[in-house]
Amino acid sequence: MAIRGILGSFAREEDVVAATEAARERGLTILDVYTPYAVHGLDRAMGLEPSRLPWVCFLLGLAGAGLKVWFEYWASAVSWPVNVGGKPWNSLPAFVPITFEVMVLFAGVSTVVAFLWVAGLRPWRRARLPHPAVTDDRFVLLLAVTNAAIPVGSITQLLALHHALEIQERDFEEVP
Amino acid sequence: MAGDSVRPLAATDAGIPSTMTQGEAVGVGRLAGIVAAAAAVVLVGGIVAGQPRAWAGWLLASFGLTTAGLAGIVFVATQYAAGASWSVAFRRLPEALAAVLPVGAVAIVSLAALATSGYPWASHHEFHGGAAAQFKALWLSRPFFAVRAIAYVLVWIVFARAIVANSRRQDAQGGPEYSSRNTRLSIAFLWAFAVTFSLASFDWIMSLEPEWYSTIFAMYNFAGLFSSGLAIVVLLAVWLRSGPLATVIGDDHLHDLGKLLFAFCTFWMYIWFSQYMLIWYAHIPEETTYYVARTRGAYEPLFVANVILNWVVPFFALLRRGPKRRPSLIARVAVVVLVGRWLDLYLMIVPPFAPDGPPFAVWEVAGALALVGSAVWAIERGLRAAALVPACDPRLGESLHYHV
Repeated sequence: MAIRGILGSFAREEDVVAATEAARERGLTILDVYTPYAVHGLDRAMGLEPSRLPWVCFLLGLAGAGLKVWFEYWASAVSWPVNVGGKPWNSLPAFVPITFEVMVLFAGVSTVVAFLWVAGLRPWRRARLPHPAVTDDRFVLLLAVTNAAIPVGSITQLLALHHALEIQERDFEEVP
Repeated sequence: MAGDSVRPLAATDAGIPSTMTQGEAVGVGRLAGIVAAAAAVVLVGGIVAGQPRAWAGWLLASFGLTTAGLAGIVFVATQYAAGASWSVAFRRLPEALAAVLPVGAVAIVSLAALATSGYPWASHHEFHGGAAAQFKALWLSRPFFAVRAIAYVLVWIVFARAIVANSRRQDAQGGPEYSSRNTRLSIAFLWAFAVTFSLASFDWIMSLEPEWYSTIFAMYNFAGLFSSGLAIVVLLAVWLRSGPLATVIGDDHLHDLGKLLFAFCTFWMYIWFSQYMLIWYAHIPEETTYYVARTRGAYEPLFVANVILNWVVPFFALLRRGPKRRPSLIARVAVVVLVGRWLDLYLMIVPPFAPDGPPFAVWEVAGALALVGSAVWAIERGLRAAALVPACDPRLGESLHYHV
Protein backbone atom coordinates (compact mmCIF):
# COMPACT_ATOMS: atom_id res chain seq x y z
CA MET A 1 0.00 0.00 0.00
CA ALA A 2 1.41 3.35 -0.92
CA ILE A 3 1.79 5.93 1.79
CA ARG A 4 1.59 9.64 1.19
CA GLY A 5 4.70 11.18 2.68
CA ILE A 6 6.95 14.17 2.78
CA LEU A 7 10.67 13.71 2.41
CA GLY A 8 13.27 16.18 3.60
CA SER A 9 16.93 15.63 2.83
CA PHE A 10 19.71 17.21 4.86
CA ALA A 11 23.45 17.66 4.46
CA ARG A 12 24.39 17.51 8.15
CA GLU A 13 23.57 14.96 10.85
CA GLU A 14 22.89 17.71 13.41
CA ASP A 15 20.15 19.08 11.14
CA VAL A 16 18.41 15.75 10.65
CA VAL A 17 18.51 15.02 14.39
CA ALA A 18 17.09 18.46 15.22
CA ALA A 19 14.39 18.17 12.53
CA THR A 20 13.43 14.70 13.75
CA GLU A 21 13.15 15.97 17.31
CA ALA A 22 11.03 18.93 16.20
CA ALA A 23 8.77 16.66 14.13
CA ARG A 24 8.21 14.32 17.05
CA GLU A 25 7.41 17.23 19.36
CA ARG A 26 4.87 18.52 16.82
CA GLY A 27 3.19 15.11 16.87
CA LEU A 28 4.01 14.22 13.27
CA THR A 29 4.26 10.58 12.23
CA ILE A 30 7.91 9.77 11.55
CA LEU A 31 7.99 6.95 8.98
CA ASP A 32 11.75 6.54 9.11
CA VAL A 33 15.08 8.33 9.02
CA TYR A 34 17.74 7.24 6.53
CA THR A 35 21.41 7.97 7.20
CA PRO A 36 24.61 6.85 5.48
CA TYR A 37 26.07 5.81 8.86
CA ALA A 38 24.84 5.24 12.42
CA VAL A 39 23.97 8.61 13.98
CA HIS A 40 24.18 8.76 17.77
CA GLY A 41 21.13 10.13 19.53
CA LEU A 42 18.83 9.56 16.55
CA ASP A 43 16.96 6.77 18.32
CA ARG A 44 16.12 9.18 21.13
CA ALA A 45 15.13 11.91 18.66
CA MET A 46 12.78 9.47 16.87
CA GLY A 47 11.34 8.31 20.19
CA LEU A 48 12.12 4.68 19.41
CA GLU A 49 11.40 2.06 22.04
CA PRO A 50 14.50 0.34 23.46
CA SER A 51 15.45 -2.71 21.41
CA ARG A 52 14.05 -6.07 22.55
CA LEU A 53 17.06 -7.92 21.14
CA PRO A 54 18.80 -8.12 24.57
CA TRP A 55 15.91 -10.28 25.76
CA VAL A 56 16.38 -12.69 22.86
CA CYS A 57 20.10 -12.77 23.68
CA PHE A 58 19.52 -13.35 27.41
CA LEU A 59 16.76 -15.96 27.14
CA LEU A 60 18.38 -17.97 24.35
CA GLY A 61 21.71 -17.82 26.20
CA LEU A 62 19.96 -19.16 29.27
CA ALA A 63 18.26 -21.87 27.22
CA GLY A 64 21.58 -22.88 25.60
CA ALA A 65 23.32 -23.08 28.97
CA GLY A 66 20.44 -25.05 30.51
CA LEU A 67 20.26 -27.51 27.60
CA LYS A 68 23.98 -28.08 27.69
CA VAL A 69 24.12 -28.70 31.43
CA TRP A 70 21.27 -31.19 31.04
CA PHE A 71 22.99 -32.92 28.10
CA GLU A 72 26.31 -33.18 29.92
CA TYR A 73 24.59 -34.54 32.98
CA TRP A 74 22.70 -37.07 30.87
CA ALA A 75 25.78 -38.09 28.88
CA SER A 76 28.24 -38.42 31.74
CA ALA A 77 26.03 -39.50 34.63
CA VAL A 78 23.08 -41.36 33.07
CA SER A 79 23.82 -42.73 29.62
CA TRP A 80 27.52 -43.61 29.82
CA PRO A 81 29.15 -42.95 33.19
CA VAL A 82 32.95 -42.85 32.96
CA ASN A 83 35.19 -42.66 35.99
CA VAL A 84 37.50 -39.65 35.57
CA GLY A 85 40.02 -39.33 38.39
CA GLY A 86 37.54 -40.71 40.92
CA LYS A 87 35.28 -37.68 40.55
CA PRO A 88 31.50 -37.95 40.89
CA TRP A 89 29.56 -38.74 37.69
CA ASN A 90 27.81 -35.43 37.89
CA SER A 91 30.86 -33.13 38.18
CA LEU A 92 29.46 -29.67 37.60
CA PRO A 93 32.75 -27.70 37.52
CA ALA A 94 33.89 -29.85 34.60
CA PHE A 95 30.74 -28.92 32.65
CA VAL A 96 31.24 -25.17 33.00
CA PRO A 97 33.61 -24.44 30.07
CA ILE A 98 31.40 -26.21 27.50
CA THR A 99 28.26 -24.74 29.04
CA PHE A 100 29.80 -21.31 28.73
CA GLU A 101 30.72 -21.85 25.07
CA VAL A 102 27.28 -23.18 24.15
CA MET A 103 25.63 -20.30 25.98
CA VAL A 104 27.70 -17.81 23.97
CA LEU A 105 26.92 -19.69 20.74
CA PHE A 106 23.17 -19.74 21.38
CA ALA A 107 23.07 -16.13 22.56
CA GLY A 108 25.22 -14.82 19.71
CA VAL A 109 23.68 -16.72 16.80
CA SER A 110 20.12 -16.23 18.03
CA THR A 111 20.66 -12.48 18.38
CA VAL A 112 21.92 -12.21 14.80
CA VAL A 113 19.06 -14.36 13.45
CA ALA A 114 16.48 -12.41 15.46
CA PHE A 115 17.92 -9.15 14.20
CA LEU A 116 17.79 -10.27 10.55
CA TRP A 117 14.25 -11.55 11.09
CA VAL A 118 12.95 -8.40 12.75
CA ALA A 119 14.71 -6.08 10.31
CA GLY A 120 13.30 -8.11 7.39
CA LEU A 121 16.75 -8.61 5.88
CA ARG A 122 16.58 -11.49 3.43
CA PRO A 123 18.99 -12.17 0.59
CA TRP A 124 16.32 -11.63 -2.10
CA ARG A 125 15.06 -8.46 -0.50
CA ARG A 126 15.55 -5.34 -2.67
CA ALA A 127 16.13 -2.10 -0.82
CA ARG A 128 13.85 0.71 -1.97
CA LEU A 129 15.57 3.88 -1.00
CA PRO A 130 13.53 7.05 -0.68
CA HIS A 131 16.45 9.00 -2.06
CA PRO A 132 19.54 7.62 -3.82
CA ALA A 133 21.96 9.84 -1.89
CA VAL A 134 21.23 8.26 1.53
CA THR A 135 23.96 5.74 0.79
CA ASP A 136 26.34 8.59 0.02
CA ASP A 137 26.24 11.85 1.99
CA ARG A 138 22.61 12.75 2.61
CA PHE A 139 20.35 12.33 5.63
CA VAL A 140 16.66 11.84 4.88
CA LEU A 141 13.70 12.31 7.20
CA LEU A 142 10.46 10.75 6.00
CA LEU A 143 7.20 12.05 7.47
CA ALA A 144 3.69 10.72 6.83
CA VAL A 145 0.90 13.01 5.63
CA THR A 146 -1.92 11.41 7.57
CA ASN A 147 -3.04 13.88 10.14
CA ALA A 148 -5.45 16.37 8.58
CA ALA A 149 -5.00 18.68 11.54
CA ILE A 150 -1.44 19.42 10.48
CA PRO A 151 -1.35 21.09 7.06
CA VAL A 152 1.31 20.08 4.56
CA GLY A 153 2.56 23.65 4.48
CA SER A 154 3.55 23.61 8.11
CA ILE A 155 5.43 20.32 7.64
CA THR A 156 7.48 21.70 4.76
CA GLN A 157 8.08 24.82 6.81
CA LEU A 158 9.44 22.72 9.66
CA LEU A 159 11.79 20.90 7.29
CA ALA A 160 12.95 24.15 5.70
CA LEU A 161 13.58 25.64 9.12
CA HIS A 162 16.15 22.90 9.76
CA HIS A 163 18.02 23.58 6.53
CA ALA A 164 16.48 20.86 4.39
CA LEU A 165 18.15 20.86 0.99
CA GLU A 166 15.25 19.20 -0.76
CA ILE A 167 11.60 18.69 0.15
CA GLN A 168 9.37 16.30 -1.83
CA GLU A 169 5.77 15.29 -1.30
CA ARG A 170 4.89 12.02 -2.99
CA ASP A 171 3.63 8.45 -2.57
CA PHE A 172 6.09 5.96 -1.11
CA GLU A 173 5.71 2.35 -2.18
CA GLU A 174 7.25 0.62 0.75
CA VAL A 175 8.22 1.84 4.16
CA PRO A 176 9.67 -0.80 6.45
CA MET B 1 46.84 20.74 15.21
CA ALA B 2 48.26 23.94 16.66
CA GLY B 3 48.37 24.24 20.42
CA ASP B 4 46.42 27.44 20.74
CA SER B 5 43.50 26.37 18.57
CA VAL B 6 42.94 23.64 21.10
CA ARG B 7 43.03 25.79 24.23
CA PRO B 8 40.30 25.82 26.82
CA LEU B 9 37.40 26.53 24.47
CA ALA B 10 35.19 23.72 25.75
CA ALA B 11 36.17 24.20 29.38
CA THR B 12 35.20 27.84 29.68
CA ASP B 13 32.01 27.29 27.69
CA ALA B 14 30.67 24.60 29.96
CA GLY B 15 31.54 26.57 33.10
CA ILE B 16 33.84 23.86 34.37
CA PRO B 17 35.18 24.32 37.89
CA SER B 18 38.95 24.63 38.07
CA THR B 19 39.65 23.05 41.45
CA MET B 20 37.98 21.22 44.29
CA THR B 21 36.72 23.62 46.90
CA GLN B 22 34.56 21.33 48.98
CA GLY B 23 35.46 21.93 52.61
CA GLU B 24 33.71 18.76 53.79
CA ALA B 25 35.88 16.63 51.54
CA VAL B 26 39.02 18.05 53.12
CA GLY B 27 37.59 17.25 56.55
CA VAL B 28 36.75 13.68 55.53
CA GLY B 29 40.22 13.25 54.05
CA ARG B 30 41.89 14.40 57.24
CA LEU B 31 39.71 12.22 59.44
CA ALA B 32 40.45 9.21 57.21
CA GLY B 33 44.16 10.00 57.46
CA ILE B 34 44.03 10.08 61.26
CA VAL B 35 42.10 6.77 61.39
CA ALA B 36 44.60 5.17 58.99
CA ALA B 37 47.56 6.44 61.00
CA ALA B 38 46.09 5.10 64.24
CA ALA B 39 45.39 1.72 62.60
CA ALA B 40 48.93 1.65 61.21
CA VAL B 41 50.38 2.33 64.67
CA VAL B 42 48.33 -0.57 66.08
CA LEU B 43 49.58 -2.86 63.30
CA VAL B 44 53.21 -1.83 63.76
CA GLY B 45 52.84 -2.45 67.48
CA GLY B 46 51.47 -5.91 66.69
CA ILE B 47 54.30 -6.68 64.28
CA VAL B 48 56.93 -5.58 66.79
CA ALA B 49 55.22 -7.71 69.43
CA GLY B 50 55.50 -10.67 67.06
CA GLN B 51 51.83 -11.09 66.13
CA PRO B 52 51.68 -12.87 62.75
CA ARG B 53 48.12 -11.69 62.07
CA ALA B 54 49.14 -8.06 62.57
CA TRP B 55 51.78 -8.68 59.93
CA ALA B 56 49.09 -10.18 57.66
CA GLY B 57 46.90 -7.14 58.27
CA TRP B 58 49.73 -4.85 57.22
CA LEU B 59 50.38 -6.92 54.09
CA LEU B 60 46.67 -6.85 53.19
CA ALA B 61 46.44 -3.08 53.63
CA SER B 62 49.65 -2.28 51.76
CA PHE B 63 48.97 -4.67 48.88
CA GLY B 64 45.40 -3.38 48.62
CA LEU B 65 46.64 0.22 48.51
CA THR B 66 49.37 -0.54 45.98
CA THR B 67 46.95 -2.29 43.64
CA ALA B 68 44.35 0.49 44.02
CA GLY B 69 46.94 3.11 43.07
CA LEU B 70 48.15 0.95 40.21
CA ALA B 71 44.57 0.55 39.00
CA GLY B 72 44.33 4.34 38.69
CA ILE B 73 47.44 4.71 36.58
CA VAL B 74 46.74 1.54 34.56
CA PHE B 75 43.29 2.91 33.69
CA VAL B 76 44.80 6.24 32.58
CA ALA B 77 47.48 4.41 30.59
CA THR B 78 44.98 2.16 28.78
CA GLN B 79 43.00 5.25 27.76
CA TYR B 80 46.08 7.02 26.39
CA ALA B 81 47.34 3.87 24.68
CA ALA B 82 43.99 3.34 22.97
CA GLY B 83 43.62 7.02 22.05
CA ALA B 84 40.32 7.04 23.91
CA SER B 85 38.45 10.32 24.17
CA TRP B 86 35.35 9.34 26.16
CA SER B 87 37.18 9.21 29.50
CA VAL B 88 39.10 12.50 29.21
CA ALA B 89 36.41 14.52 31.02
CA PHE B 90 36.86 12.50 34.21
CA ARG B 91 40.52 11.49 33.79
CA ARG B 92 41.48 13.42 36.94
CA LEU B 93 39.59 10.81 38.98
CA PRO B 94 41.82 7.83 38.10
CA GLU B 95 44.78 10.22 38.27
CA ALA B 96 43.79 11.06 41.85
CA LEU B 97 43.46 7.32 42.53
CA ALA B 98 47.08 6.94 41.39
CA ALA B 99 48.03 9.16 44.35
CA VAL B 100 47.37 6.09 46.53
CA LEU B 101 50.30 4.27 44.88
CA PRO B 102 53.16 5.93 46.84
CA VAL B 103 51.40 5.25 50.16
CA GLY B 104 50.99 1.56 49.35
CA ALA B 105 54.49 1.40 47.91
CA VAL B 106 56.12 2.74 51.07
CA ALA B 107 54.06 0.35 53.19
CA ILE B 108 54.87 -2.73 51.15
CA VAL B 109 58.56 -1.92 50.64
CA SER B 110 59.00 -1.43 54.37
CA LEU B 111 57.49 -4.89 54.84
CA ALA B 112 59.64 -6.48 52.14
CA ALA B 113 62.84 -4.83 53.32
CA LEU B 114 62.42 -4.72 57.10
CA ALA B 115 59.96 -7.38 58.22
CA THR B 116 59.68 -10.52 56.12
CA SER B 117 58.85 -12.51 59.25
CA GLY B 118 55.39 -13.50 57.98
CA TYR B 119 56.76 -15.38 54.97
CA PRO B 120 57.50 -19.02 55.77
CA TRP B 121 60.60 -18.96 53.56
CA ALA B 122 62.15 -16.14 55.60
CA SER B 123 62.92 -18.45 58.54
CA HIS B 124 64.66 -21.78 57.83
CA HIS B 125 62.22 -23.19 55.29
CA GLU B 126 63.28 -26.17 53.21
CA PHE B 127 61.98 -26.26 49.68
CA HIS B 128 61.03 -29.59 48.18
CA GLY B 129 61.78 -30.83 44.70
CA GLY B 130 65.20 -30.67 42.97
CA ALA B 131 66.09 -27.85 40.63
CA ALA B 132 62.95 -25.86 41.41
CA ALA B 133 63.85 -25.91 45.08
CA GLN B 134 67.28 -24.47 44.37
CA PHE B 135 65.80 -21.73 42.27
CA LYS B 136 63.15 -20.96 44.87
CA ALA B 137 65.75 -20.72 47.63
CA LEU B 138 67.69 -18.28 45.50
CA TRP B 139 64.65 -16.27 44.39
CA LEU B 140 63.21 -16.06 47.88
CA SER B 141 66.34 -14.88 49.66
CA ARG B 142 65.77 -11.81 51.76
CA PRO B 143 68.14 -9.28 50.12
CA PHE B 144 67.04 -10.24 46.58
CA PHE B 145 63.39 -10.07 47.66
CA ALA B 146 63.85 -6.56 49.07
CA VAL B 147 65.75 -5.32 46.02
CA ARG B 148 63.03 -6.65 43.71
CA ALA B 149 60.29 -4.98 45.75
CA ILE B 150 62.09 -1.65 45.55
CA ALA B 151 62.63 -2.09 41.81
CA TYR B 152 58.94 -2.85 41.04
CA VAL B 153 57.75 0.05 43.10
CA LEU B 154 60.27 2.46 41.56
CA VAL B 155 59.21 1.51 38.03
CA TRP B 156 55.53 2.10 38.85
CA ILE B 157 56.06 5.38 40.68
CA VAL B 158 58.37 6.83 38.03
CA PHE B 159 55.89 6.04 35.26
CA ALA B 160 52.86 7.18 37.28
CA ARG B 161 54.51 10.47 38.21
CA ALA B 162 55.62 11.14 34.65
CA ILE B 163 52.18 10.46 33.16
CA VAL B 164 50.29 12.48 35.77
CA ALA B 165 52.80 15.34 35.63
CA ASN B 166 52.49 15.54 31.84
CA SER B 167 48.72 15.60 32.10
CA ARG B 168 48.87 18.43 34.64
CA ARG B 169 51.48 20.38 32.71
CA GLN B 170 49.12 20.34 29.75
CA ASP B 171 46.61 22.34 31.85
CA ALA B 172 49.04 25.22 32.07
CA GLN B 173 50.81 25.03 28.72
CA GLY B 174 48.17 23.58 26.42
CA GLY B 175 49.31 21.77 23.33
CA PRO B 176 48.75 18.23 22.07
CA GLU B 177 52.41 17.23 22.43
CA TYR B 178 51.77 16.32 26.09
CA SER B 179 49.08 13.89 24.98
CA SER B 180 51.33 12.19 22.46
CA ARG B 181 54.16 12.02 24.99
CA ASN B 182 51.77 10.37 27.45
CA THR B 183 50.64 7.91 24.80
CA ARG B 184 54.22 6.71 24.37
CA LEU B 185 54.81 6.64 28.12
CA SER B 186 51.57 4.70 28.65
CA ILE B 187 52.46 1.99 26.16
CA ALA B 188 55.88 1.55 27.78
CA PHE B 189 54.28 1.52 31.22
CA LEU B 190 51.74 -1.15 30.31
CA TRP B 191 54.55 -3.43 29.12
CA ALA B 192 56.59 -2.79 32.26
CA PHE B 193 53.51 -3.17 34.46
CA ALA B 194 52.58 -6.56 32.98
CA VAL B 195 55.98 -8.01 33.86
CA THR B 196 56.60 -6.30 37.20
CA PHE B 197 53.11 -6.78 38.58
CA SER B 198 53.13 -10.49 37.71
CA LEU B 199 56.38 -10.94 39.60
CA ALA B 200 55.17 -8.75 42.46
CA SER B 201 52.01 -10.82 42.96
CA PHE B 202 54.13 -14.01 42.98
CA ASP B 203 56.57 -12.43 45.43
CA TRP B 204 54.24 -10.77 47.87
CA ILE B 205 51.18 -13.00 47.92
CA MET B 206 51.93 -16.39 46.37
CA SER B 207 55.12 -16.85 48.42
CA LEU B 208 52.98 -16.90 51.57
CA GLU B 209 52.60 -20.57 50.64
CA PRO B 210 55.94 -21.15 48.93
CA GLU B 211 55.24 -24.77 47.94
CA TRP B 212 52.02 -23.84 46.17
CA TYR B 213 51.93 -22.33 42.71
CA SER B 214 49.43 -21.22 40.12
CA THR B 215 50.59 -19.83 36.80
CA ILE B 216 47.41 -17.78 36.38
CA PHE B 217 47.87 -16.09 39.77
CA ALA B 218 49.22 -12.83 38.34
CA MET B 219 46.29 -12.52 35.95
CA TYR B 220 43.91 -13.28 38.80
CA ASN B 221 45.45 -10.47 40.81
CA PHE B 222 45.26 -8.11 37.87
CA ALA B 223 41.55 -8.87 37.44
CA GLY B 224 40.90 -7.96 41.08
CA LEU B 225 43.08 -4.87 40.78
CA PHE B 226 41.25 -3.53 37.77
CA SER B 227 37.66 -4.31 38.78
CA SER B 228 38.16 -2.73 42.20
CA GLY B 229 39.93 0.27 40.65
CA LEU B 230 36.96 0.78 38.33
CA ALA B 231 34.63 0.54 41.32
CA ILE B 232 36.55 3.37 43.03
CA VAL B 233 36.42 5.51 39.87
CA VAL B 234 32.65 4.87 39.65
CA LEU B 235 32.19 5.98 43.26
CA LEU B 236 34.25 9.14 42.70
CA ALA B 237 32.34 9.90 39.50
CA VAL B 238 28.95 9.51 41.19
CA TRP B 239 30.10 11.66 44.12
CA LEU B 240 31.58 14.49 42.01
CA ARG B 241 28.62 14.43 39.61
CA SER B 242 26.45 15.65 42.43
CA GLY B 243 28.91 18.52 42.96
CA PRO B 244 31.56 20.24 40.88
CA LEU B 245 31.44 17.88 37.88
CA ALA B 246 27.66 17.99 37.41
CA THR B 247 28.00 19.47 33.91
CA VAL B 248 30.97 17.30 32.96
CA ILE B 249 30.20 13.66 33.77
CA GLY B 250 27.05 12.67 31.93
CA ASP B 251 24.88 9.56 32.06
CA ASP B 252 26.75 8.22 29.07
CA HIS B 253 30.10 8.38 30.87
CA LEU B 254 28.55 6.54 33.81
CA HIS B 255 27.01 4.00 31.44
CA ASP B 256 30.38 3.14 29.91
CA LEU B 257 32.09 2.99 33.31
CA GLY B 258 29.31 0.61 34.30
CA LYS B 259 29.98 -1.54 31.23
CA LEU B 260 33.67 -1.72 32.11
CA LEU B 261 32.90 -2.60 35.74
CA PHE B 262 30.49 -5.29 34.54
CA ALA B 263 33.05 -6.64 32.07
CA PHE B 264 35.94 -6.77 34.51
CA CYS B 265 33.90 -8.37 37.29
CA THR B 266 33.05 -11.06 34.76
CA PHE B 267 36.70 -11.25 33.75
CA TRP B 268 37.60 -11.75 37.41
CA MET B 269 35.10 -14.60 37.59
CA TYR B 270 36.52 -16.13 34.43
CA ILE B 271 40.05 -16.10 35.84
CA TRP B 272 38.89 -17.20 39.29
CA PHE B 273 37.18 -20.22 37.76
CA SER B 274 40.08 -20.97 35.43
CA GLN B 275 42.38 -21.24 38.44
CA TYR B 276 39.88 -23.19 40.52
CA MET B 277 38.84 -25.66 37.83
CA LEU B 278 42.31 -26.66 36.72
CA ILE B 279 43.39 -27.33 40.29
CA TRP B 280 40.13 -29.16 41.09
CA TYR B 281 40.40 -31.26 37.92
CA ALA B 282 44.08 -32.22 38.20
CA HIS B 283 43.72 -32.97 41.90
CA ILE B 284 47.47 -32.78 42.62
CA PRO B 285 48.09 -32.56 46.37
CA GLU B 286 50.65 -29.75 46.14
CA GLU B 287 48.13 -27.61 44.24
CA THR B 288 44.92 -28.45 46.08
CA THR B 289 46.32 -27.36 49.47
CA TYR B 290 45.43 -23.77 48.56
CA TYR B 291 41.75 -24.55 48.16
CA VAL B 292 41.65 -27.03 51.02
CA ALA B 293 42.78 -24.27 53.37
CA ARG B 294 40.19 -21.86 51.94
CA THR B 295 37.16 -24.12 52.00
CA ARG B 296 37.73 -25.68 55.39
CA GLY B 297 35.16 -25.02 58.12
CA ALA B 298 33.98 -21.45 58.46
CA TYR B 299 36.13 -20.37 55.50
CA GLU B 300 33.68 -22.02 53.10
CA PRO B 301 30.87 -19.43 53.41
CA LEU B 302 33.46 -16.68 52.83
CA PHE B 303 34.80 -18.59 49.82
CA VAL B 304 31.29 -18.60 48.34
CA ALA B 305 30.63 -14.98 49.40
CA ASN B 306 33.75 -13.93 47.50
CA VAL B 307 32.20 -15.12 44.23
CA ILE B 308 28.83 -13.60 45.08
CA LEU B 309 30.23 -10.15 45.92
CA ASN B 310 32.74 -9.96 43.09
CA TRP B 311 30.65 -11.46 40.31
CA VAL B 312 27.06 -12.56 41.00
CA VAL B 313 25.91 -9.21 42.40
CA PRO B 314 27.63 -6.91 39.87
CA PHE B 315 26.72 -9.22 36.96
CA PHE B 316 22.99 -9.39 37.60
CA ALA B 317 22.72 -5.83 38.93
CA LEU B 318 24.45 -4.27 35.93
CA LEU B 319 23.22 -6.63 33.20
CA ARG B 320 20.52 -4.27 31.94
CA ARG B 321 20.99 -0.81 30.53
CA GLY B 322 19.00 1.17 33.11
CA PRO B 323 21.00 0.32 36.24
CA LYS B 324 24.29 1.32 34.59
CA ARG B 325 22.87 4.83 34.19
CA ARG B 326 21.36 5.09 37.69
CA PRO B 327 23.97 6.73 39.95
CA SER B 328 22.51 5.43 43.21
CA LEU B 329 22.43 1.83 41.98
CA ILE B 330 25.82 1.71 40.28
CA ALA B 331 27.39 3.32 43.37
CA ARG B 332 25.93 0.57 45.54
CA VAL B 333 27.26 -2.10 43.20
CA ALA B 334 30.69 -0.42 43.37
CA VAL B 335 30.60 -0.62 47.18
CA VAL B 336 29.73 -4.33 46.96
CA VAL B 337 32.66 -4.89 44.59
CA LEU B 338 35.02 -3.07 46.99
CA VAL B 339 33.85 -5.16 49.94
CA GLY B 340 34.41 -8.16 47.67
CA ARG B 341 37.91 -6.92 46.90
CA TRP B 342 38.73 -6.80 50.61
CA LEU B 343 37.33 -10.31 51.07
CA ASP B 344 39.32 -11.56 48.06
CA LEU B 345 42.55 -10.18 49.55
CA TYR B 346 41.57 -11.60 52.94
CA LEU B 347 41.11 -15.08 51.46
CA MET B 348 44.43 -14.83 49.63
CA ILE B 349 46.45 -13.63 52.63
CA VAL B 350 44.87 -14.63 55.95
CA PRO B 351 44.22 -18.45 55.80
CA PRO B 352 47.92 -19.44 56.17
CA PHE B 353 48.01 -17.40 59.38
CA ALA B 354 44.78 -18.78 60.81
CA PRO B 355 44.25 -22.32 59.51
CA ASP B 356 41.47 -23.14 61.96
CA GLY B 357 38.96 -20.53 60.95
CA PRO B 358 38.55 -17.00 59.63
CA PRO B 359 39.56 -14.48 62.29
CA PHE B 360 38.06 -11.03 62.49
CA ALA B 361 39.45 -9.19 65.46
CA VAL B 362 41.68 -6.22 66.21
CA TRP B 363 44.35 -6.99 63.57
CA GLU B 364 41.89 -7.58 60.76
CA VAL B 365 39.88 -4.48 61.66
CA ALA B 366 43.07 -2.41 61.90
CA GLY B 367 44.17 -3.72 58.50
CA ALA B 368 40.83 -2.83 56.90
CA LEU B 369 40.82 0.64 58.50
CA ALA B 370 44.40 1.30 57.41
CA LEU B 371 43.46 0.29 53.85
CA VAL B 372 40.29 2.34 53.55
CA GLY B 373 41.56 5.29 55.57
CA SER B 374 44.80 5.78 53.66
CA ALA B 375 43.01 5.34 50.34
CA VAL B 376 40.45 8.03 51.15
CA TRP B 377 43.15 10.34 52.52
CA ALA B 378 45.39 9.96 49.45
CA ILE B 379 42.55 10.21 46.91
CA GLU B 380 41.23 13.39 48.52
CA ARG B 381 44.71 14.94 48.35
CA GLY B 382 45.08 13.73 44.79
CA LEU B 383 41.83 15.41 43.80
CA ARG B 384 42.95 18.71 45.30
CA ALA B 385 46.39 18.58 43.66
CA ALA B 386 45.14 19.61 40.22
CA ALA B 387 42.19 21.01 38.29
CA LEU B 388 39.29 18.55 38.21
CA VAL B 389 39.06 18.67 34.43
CA PRO B 390 42.05 18.52 32.08
CA ALA B 391 40.91 21.70 30.36
CA CYS B 392 43.57 21.78 27.61
CA ASP B 393 43.43 18.16 26.54
CA PRO B 394 42.72 18.15 22.80
CA ARG B 395 40.21 15.32 23.27
CA LEU B 396 38.20 17.08 25.98
CA GLY B 397 35.63 18.59 23.62
CA GLU B 398 34.90 15.17 22.17
CA SER B 399 34.57 13.72 25.65
CA LEU B 400 32.13 16.41 26.81
CA HIS B 401 29.84 15.65 23.85
CA TYR B 402 30.07 11.94 24.32
CA HIS B 403 27.06 9.78 23.42
CA VAL B 404 26.80 6.05 23.88
